[in-house]
Amino acid sequence: MSIPSPDLDALQRWMQSVIVHAGGVHQGIVSADAQAEIPLPVEQIDIVINPSTSQSSLERLAVYSNAYKARLLEVLISEYPALVHAVGEEAFVGLAGSYLEEHPSRSYTLADLGRAFPAFLAASRPPSQTEDGSPDWADFLIDLAHLERLYSEVFDGPGTEGQPTLQTDDLLRLSSEEWLTARLIPAPCLRLAEYRFPVHDYATAVRHDQDPPFPAAQITRLAITRRAYMVRRVAMEAREFGALSALANGLTVGDALQRVLADRSVTIDDLANDVRTWFRNWAVAVYFVGVQ
Amino acid sequence: MPLPRLGHPNLGLGVGLRTVHFPHLLQHQPDVDWFEIISENFMDSQGRPRAVLEQLAERYPIVMHGVSMSIGSTDPLDQIYLRKLKALADAVRAQWVSDHICWTGVASRNSHDLLPLPYTEQTLRHVVERVRTVQEILERPLVLENPSSYVTFAASTMPEWEFVARLADEADCGLLLDVNNVFVSSVNHDFDPIEYLDAIPAERVVQFHLAGHTNLGTHLIDTHDGHVIDPVWELYRHAHHRTGGAATLLEWDAKIPPFPVVHAEVLKARDYMTAALTLPTSRESESSAPEVTVGRVAAVVPHPASIVLAEVE
Repeated sequence: MSIPSPDLDALQRWMQSVIVHAGGVHQGIVSADAQAEIPLPVEQIDIVINPSTSQSSLERLAVYSNAYKARLLEVLISEYPALVHAVGEEAFVGLAGSYLEEHPSRSYTLADLGRAFPAFLAASRPPSQTEDGSPDWADFLIDLAHLERLYSEVFDGPGTEGQPTLQTDDLLRLSSEEWLTARLIPAPCLRLAEYRFPVHDYATAVRHDQDPPFPAAQITRLAITRRAYMVRRVAMEAREFGALSALANGLTVGDALQRVLADRSVTIDDLANDVRTWFRNWAVAVYFVGVQ
Repeated sequence: MPLPRLGHPNLGLGVGLRTVHFPHLLQHQPDVDWFEIISENFMDSQGRPRAVLEQLAERYPIVMHGVSMSIGSTDPLDQIYLRKLKALADAVRAQWVSDHICWTGVASRNSHDLLPLPYTEQTLRHVVERVRTVQEILERPLVLENPSSYVTFAASTMPEWEFVARLADEADCGLLLDVNNVFVSSVNHDFDPIEYLDAIPAERVVQFHLAGHTNLGTHLIDTHDGHVIDPVWELYRHAHHRTGGAATLLEWDAKIPPFPVVHAEVLKARDYMTAALTLPTSRESESSAPEVTVGRVAAVVPHPASIVLAEVE
């Protein structure tokens, strides 16, 4: 059999179909995508790829196929170390392989490769294993992946370094009326996330080369941000997290505090004390950069 | 006749900038001639990597080296990518911008590998046209590197060295001559590396790359994970004398040792710039890369595999 020399576009589409095929180069060559570009039985691969003195054409193509998978897995393993620890490397490779099949890279940067991994895990999770619907192992993994991706995005995304930030003095200068109608501008690196497990403690333990156990479910509210180019995360109780979330979502200070007061167990005096502490801590943590 | 190195300076002996070395570089400010960055790791960064780069750019010359231009792909050029590349080059006052003679994907996919091209007249016309377009967008000559490769195409009608030489002349671009890649491909494809080097237009060589590789017995893989072996140093000596010298950089991208080890490796190049061959007295280099066992093959990943990892308190 002979085939005319394929043009550059057909050759590239053929080679890509072959080397990214999850089943390896043999299955890649006989796949519909590859055959659509260069109709070729496996035994005649030498028509397209030259053998060398020490490797067959198939073995040579397999170098690229193996490298493709290994490289992208290496990137995901690097970005999700706590998740790898939680499920074990073998299971992670299985999950990541399925993810890469569904979400092949279309970006010039490997930093984008793992962007959709938490959503992929959530979409492909098995049915809940608890009778009462309480959070289970799969929920833990989904939350953990979400947190690790947030770390990546906060670390290399926009931040406040070298920029003016909101200080407590800026707030003290406001009149009572201005204070209640003020809207605070959140730092571009601030992320607020509520999880079903203390995934931040688990992730930190793994990063410190410890071997943490699967934690018990516990509602965990985190403020994640960056200061001096380092990602920082703080766990918060419900009221502070609620107020911070309301302000970060653009509510006025008055409306945000009103939300907290909707909880009838909170008195005005309690809230006044809390607010002083919260705003002092938030200024130190650089959650806001200004007042509107 | 172009000027030697297309008029670019010989920057001396440089090192690839890697994030694991940031603390050492900021604390010690070592006496390094210049740094090369992986462009894609910095062009979108708004965090520590970019901040450190800007600090270093105040003191050291910076060269940009990309892995995703995909100059040989039949997909359209990524205009957004090219605009970001130019913005970064302007911001860090890059001495020049380089990438590889390869394609990285097609149909909007990116394999993040440096995939080989069939060396044909059609490919040459295609790549020359795209290099000219990129040079117009970047407003500077592009510098292109010969990649390591693991297959050759039956459709090729010319050897790689002829393709590289004609591409550089016809597109009027510079060359980043990776001596280790020449060696790796010469073993994988059974050609004479000296014939390759002698066919390269010397005046277009703006930069050299040196690196370690992995010997799998049946073939070599460009892993950038160890010392430069003696045969590669010999090729470097030959290329240095043919070209009159050019900026030389060591790449070390996996199993990265402390910065002084990496720096010391590139400084060995001085021993090969003299006319008489003098092997370095420190014998960390080898006559050939040790062959690794089959069990390790799955873990052998050719360059590039570079990602910036988050630092969390």
